[in-house]
Amino acid sequence: MRTAAAAVLAVAVLASGCGGPAPSSGQGTGGEPQGEISLVTPIFEGSDGQRVLEEQLAAFRKQYPKVRVRPDYTNYAKLNEKLTTSMVSGRAYDVMLLGIGWVPPFAGRLLADLGMDRAELAKTYSPRAVDAGVHDGKVYALPVMLDMRFGIYRKDLFAAAGITAPPRTFAELRDHARRLTVRDASGKLQRAGMDVLSTDPRQVYETLLWAAGGDLFTPDGKVAFNSPNAVRGLELMTDLIRTDRALDIGFTKVGDTSIPIITDRAAMALGHNNLWLEIQAQRPELIAQDKIGTFVITDERPAMFQGGTLASMSASGKNKPAALALVKFLASADASLAASSQRGNVPAVRSLESSSYVKENAFVRFAMSNMDSAFSEGGVPGWLNIRNDFKAAIESALLGQKSPKEALDELAARAATQVSGR
Amino acid sequence: MSPLRTERSGRFLLHLVLGAGSLLMIVPFVWMLLSSVKNRADIAAYPPKILPTEWLWSNYPEAMGFAPFGTYFRNSLTIAVGHTALNLVVASMAGYALARIAFRGRTLIFFGVMTMMMIPTYTKIVPQYLIAKSVPFFGGNDWLGRGGTGWLDSWWALIIPGALTPFAIFLFRQFYLALPKELEEAARIDGMGEFGIFARVMTPLVKPAIATVALLTFEGSWNNFLWPLLVTTSDELRVVQVGLAAFQQAERTEWAYLMAGSALATLPMIVLFLFTQRYFVQGFATAGIK
Amino acid sequence: MTAVLERRKALRRKDRGRRRVAALMLAPAVIHLVWWIGIPVVSTFVLAFLQYDIFAGTAEWVGFDNFARIFSDDVWNASIWHTLVYTFFTVPVAMVIAAVVAVLLNVKMRARAWYRAAFFLPHVTATVAIALVWMWMFEPRIGLFNALLEMVGVTGPAWLADPDWAMTSVIVVSIWKGIGVKMLIYLAALQSIPHELYEAADLDGASGPRKFFSITLPLLKPATFFVFVVSMIDAFQVFDQVYILTPDGGPANSTTVMTYEIYQAAFGRFDISTASAQSVVLFGFLMVLTVISRRLTGKDDSHVSS
Repeated sequence: MRTAAAAVLAVAVLASGCGGPAPSSGQGTGGEPQGEISLVTPIFEGSDGQRVLEEQLAAFRKQYPKVRVRPDYTNYAKLNEKLTTSMVSGRAYDVMLLGIGWVPPFAGRLLADLGMDRAELAKTYSPRAVDAGVHDGKVYALPVMLDMRFGIYRKDLFAAAGITAPPRTFAELRDHARRLTVRDASGKLQRAGMDVLSTDPRQVYETLLWAAGGDLFTPDGKVAFNSPNAVRGLELMTDLIRTDRALDIGFTKVGDTSIPIITDRAAMALGHNNLWLEIQAQRPELIAQDKIGTFVITDERPAMFQGGTLASMSASGKNKPAALALVKFLASADASLAASSQRGNVPAVRSLESSSYVKENAFVRFAMSNMDSAFSEGGVPGWLNIRNDFKAAIESALLGQKSPKEALDELAARAATQVSGR
Repeated sequence: MSPLRTERSGRFLLHLVLGAGSLLMIVPFVWMLLSSVKNRADIAAYPPKILPTEWLWSNYPEAMGFAPFGTYFRNSLTIAVGHTALNLVVASMAGYALARIAFRGRTLIFFGVMTMMMIPTYTKIVPQYLIAKSVPFFGGNDWLGRGGTGWLDSWWALIIPGALTPFAIFLFRQFYLALPKELEEAARIDGMGEFGIFARVMTPLVKPAIATVALLTFEGSWNNFLWPLLVTTSDELRVVQVGLAAFQQAERTEWAYLMAGSALATLPMIVLFLFTQRYFVQGFATAGIK
Repeated sequence: MTAVLERRKALRRKDRGRRRVAALMLAPAVIHLVWWIGIPVVSTFVLAFLQYDIFAGTAEWVGFDNFARIFSDDVWNASIWHTLVYTFFTVPVAMVIAAVVAVLLNVKMRARAWYRAAFFLPHVTATVAIALVWMWMFEPRIGLFNALLEMVGVTGPAWLADPDWAMTSVIVVSIWKGIGVKMLIYLAALQSIPHELYEAADLDGASGPRKFFSITLPLLKPATFFVFVVSMIDAFQVFDQVYILTPDGGPANSTTVMTYEIYQAAFGRFDISTASAQSVVLFGFLMVLTVISRRLTGKDDSHVSS
């Protein structure tokens, strides 16, 4: 009896969270947006980040003097916790900055249709960046800043090995990697020909899958990451490690303090555009002596992994005019440049290609000039349900426990039950 | 061998074992200190460089400038001290009652206390958030806890929910259990009340337990990250661990600053340990029971 | 006859008084626990039987469906096994080392405070710093372990990157890290053993080990029960060090533990119902193990007056 009462209480708590009226802020009934809106941001961390956002919000306030923005700072690692508590308590943030992978699962449920035209936006932003915020043909989010993974190579090591140009196919990539690998007499790896272990395995695999002409999902949302082309992406990884021995498991890993391409322990790598800042800080001479080169991973087609932060607004927000104004503002050229340059990422607004920030950062410049090769992950509502299963499947192939085909088929079977979403 | 020689070589062996063990224990801490004054190139060096090529003491002020750490340290300290004080009082009373007073349902309550530790934080935290939001009459809430923000973004949410740990009740219970019965009987014959026996006779004898609970409560509260982040939105209410998280961004980690910040964040706990460990001495010699 | 009755009545009155004091002393704790942990625990149990859609804010009763679903998931089942293995090796080893260290550090000697601090230090050192150092030790090419193995002509594994060795590596680090707190509690417990007992044993000419087994160990029983239950609960809920040493489930999911799966369900997939069902399973394991350990240590772990 007593437990029954407690259970009722528990449900009551849940219900009070969901049913309770959300705090109503001044509503803009047509005309000028006004009132208070909340913003959750996983970027702009630390004092520096906060300063940048506050400057931008001050500029926003000049445009919309009657809107007050209440920012809630978090980071990407804890963004989902913030979103969860906001949803269960029925006070979704009016404006949310979130990653590309969040859009399809949230579209139409948490996120509001911004009512914008994709073609129109493609004049301002690169079309691939616009697509990241599009689901079912509707625009749910605008790009604020992007981050890319592409090929990075050491010109000095290439020259020493007599290689003149970065690889243009998987076959060339393997060949280069083999020639650039250095092992000592006992067979210990001294220098990896191609480092695919410093970047998240899922992102590496996806980049290779796109380059091999594969796709994660078919346009109608069916699993496609075990198609013959897609499997070739994973096969490249296993070939590099298991057949060509151009890299050893355990040689490096995501988040290591020592990044092989910078410390002469790798000749090529699939890396993040942010490495530019890391090279500047660790070994500026590599840049000064022009030892660092970039290439788009290419086989059937060139492919770059595109991640990014997008601005979106809540579907249940009480003050949509003000929220929409803020979303547009955060995706504007000024705000995009400020956010990108604060963390060394790629601004989404095309016109910023001529900004001095982009000109001075070779990786960002390279990314912006290759935006047509950018692909983003996700695309189906159930993406969050399977996203984290990729890593183990890829690793089981790299470790030789399963063939790439087996690993991906199993992953596909697991995904098929979950992608449909609930 | 004379007994003295045995005694002396025994001592030597003891110091040898403890010294080697201690060394093994402090390596990461020393590494943290060394890394905190390294430059980027040293930190990324392969094989690792033990000593920095240049001692970059400036990492410390720079790390502290990375986030408003002054405010964060003050907040963390307030919360940790608050949690420790409340936990000591409330948990010791509860632990005593569970250990030394017979009443119906005692085993049930004791088991209840243990079960409270068995659901992981990540599952409890969402309901806890809702409870904090639904506290009646706070933050614009009505009497049913609806309409407003309750304790969210306030000191209440930072201090009250974490003020008592089942761990502490359990620990106190076990220590009060170990005390001999004769003590309280003697006090009872002297006409002392139950609360007096608790406060004046028994509790002074569990000083090591108090020190342990104080230390571990302070430490747990000081290192808590998720809850303070979830229930606050304003920067004036955030804590050291939130500041430290800023060094580890999605794209890359500022290792040297992270190590410097972590070293500074560890200091209060080391000081507290050296202070409290004085209470880990035989408390019974002075108790005078025979 | 009346005198006996009178005395019994007085006793009962006194008992009632004591019970009232007990109630008062327990009240703040019970209220707080029910409020902040009891309700969340109950809602976890309720949510485990619901299909809660966080986006729509709707919930539907689904009975045991959530449980059926989680047990059909190989990764979850593997995580149970990993958690059991982790607990089985971490807890007893760390407890034995901690007890020995505590006994040694209870001896009066020079630099005792510093030794104690050193053994406690891993507990307060930032987990990232710990991970950094241990990662170097486990590094396959130049790490300490493989360098030592090489001296005896053995080629070591890639430790944290090798699915066969990742869990072992994590267990080693966890034992190392877990000694401090357990030692602290044992140390505290050792202080309350009356010195007189040892003096009496000395008079009887008892040897050191004999004193340890006949006096120290029995009197450490309440503390041991405590350390065991708390360590087991901690081990079952381990997250941080496993996650930092072997992120996202470790190589080919070889170190995924129950709490990680729960975390992923709740905050990676926004599926609070599944996370709750998984938490209930974890709860069940801990409950059974606690009851067993209480049986083993004996109910009368006390000299309670009644």
